[in-house]
Amino acid sequence: MQGKQKKIFNKTALYVILALLALVWIVPVFTLVVTALKSKQDFYSGIGLFQLPENIAWGNFINAFTKGRLFTYMKNDLIVSGFKVPLGILVEALAAYALTRLNIKHKTGIFIFFLIGMMLPMQAALVPINIIYSKLNLLNTYFGLFYVYIGFGISFGILILRGFMKGIPKDIDEAAYLDGCNKWQMFLHVILPIVKPAIATLFITDFLSTWNEYLLASVIINDNAMKTVPVGLMTFVGEHGTDYGYLCAGVLIAIIPVMIVYLFFQRYFVEGMAGAVKS
Amino acid sequence: MKKRVKTNIGSYIFLMPALIIYLSVIVFPVFYSLYISLFKWNGIGDMEFVGLNNYINLFVSDPIFITALKNNIIWIVLTLVVTMTIALALAVMLNKQFKGRTFFRGFFYFPCVIAPIAVSIIWRWIYNPSVGFINEFASLLGLDFSQSWLSDPKVSIYAVFVAALWQAVGQPMILFLAGLQGVSTEVLEAAVIDGANGRKKFFKITIPLMKETFVIVIATLIVAAMKVFDVVQGLTGGGPNNATQMLSTYMYSQTFTYNNVGIGTAISCIMVIIMMLVIVPYVSFTAKDD
Repeated sequence: MQGKQKKIFNKTALYVILALLALVWIVPVFTLVVTALKSKQDFYSGIGLFQLPENIAWGNFINAFTKGRLFTYMKNDLIVSGFKVPLGILVEALAAYALTRLNIKHKTGIFIFFLIGMMLPMQAALVPINIIYSKLNLLNTYFGLFYVYIGFGISFGILILRGFMKGIPKDIDEAAYLDGCNKWQMFLHVILPIVKPAIATLFITDFLSTWNEYLLASVIINDNAMKTVPVGLMTFVGEHGTDYGYLCAGVLIAIIPVMIVYLFFQRYFVEGMAGAVKS
Repeated sequence: MKKRVKTNIGSYIFLMPALIIYLSVIVFPVFYSLYISLFKWNGIGDMEFVGLNNYINLFVSDPIFITALKNNIIWIVLTLVVTMTIALALAVMLNKQFKGRTFFRGFFYFPCVIAPIAVSIIWRWIYNPSVGFINEFASLLGLDFSQSWLSDPKVSIYAVFVAALWQAVGQPMILFLAGLQGVSTEVLEAAVIDGANGRKKFFKITIPLMKETFVIVIATLIVAAMKVFDVVQGLTGGGPNNATQMLSTYMYSQTFTYNNVGIGTAISCIMVIIMMLVIVPYVSFTAKDD
């Protein structure tokens, strides 16, 4: 009986702690939403943070989307991510395939060589990339941006895909070769379908990190028409620094796509990431 | 014999795209940075060879660089103590069996998916000294204070850290959850039979069994702490009066604001060297099972 009481007490304590923490966690989002609903006039009238305005300022959202160029920023980000993510995964999968299943020398050495890139700070490549890009006229281009993104994603992608591919039994290769598959057919029709879960996880984490990247984009892009969301948001802050309602509406719009992706594919993060690490 | 050589070359073709992109985006630029760091250069005019002077000057006569270095170390300590503890505590709670577990896991992880730049804009507003959330909340409770969080050099770095913490805690939490799931329940049950209580079980058995997870978490947290940029840049840009300057932000402003490209690249090379000190043991640990 006592044990059971203790169990109930423990469970209640757990819920209370988690609920309190969740309350603290939600503060930034709560602040963002209630502020986005207020117009500039509301702030002058001295409305409290926790009060709702009489008229919800939908204009904030419309202005942010059009005059604030958020539509352009989101379009650009979608194009860059749309190229970076599939191409990056293809390149990484090819390399991981070679590193796990093909007859090449120094596999571990090459793998470690690729791995180092994961820890290098982007800053170390920033100035040369800027110099080379300005010579090749690649500044302010989609290609310029997604090319460096692929480069900086390679290490992590190879790490994950190699881990998964290593787990596939070698018997499959033998069987496929006996059936007359060559290396490319084997890659496309045998290995890729098996590592689909890993590709799905990569697809989503890659999309988010590309969508959210700021440092490289801030150096490669300075034309307003080509900016991605994070760089655009900083421009947005520079232009409307004190109009917090408008600003928060912009941020809210900018993070809605990732919220949707997250809600739909949540299991790929929490379960997928854990699985990827274990392998 | 001949056939074998041919198949080998065919195998290397699979590696080529990744290798070419990796060499051109990362390897070559890093060495190029190293080269530039030996010059005094404004990015446009002639380059003047100065040897290691950029490095020496940074350490000997640049107090802002020293502040930045210190701040990175403070940041590492804060992440290892605060972020890691909270992440572990959350992971332990969310590893228990209860209704709503999946929801809470997803809930605490979700700030990780928001762009750090967006996070910094949100927190700027929370820290607003006159009408921000914290000071408004205090006045709601009847407390009369208005602290300026980001413009006070004494507290600004901690204020920035809290914003970063909110965003970053989900990642190590997931890693810890994965580690906890790897701890076999049989071992834990055996410990209970042997008379271990909850706390003892956790510190004497669970934690030692998660050694690998700890290595991964610590390494990734240190690397992330060395790299931290977006949140700081978005919240303070290194200010007030360089109080939140990090190596990354200082490199950025030296290079792109003040056009001291030689000094900027020297800072980035110092970042690489510090990272290497962390990476080499980590990589050898990761590759050990090969």
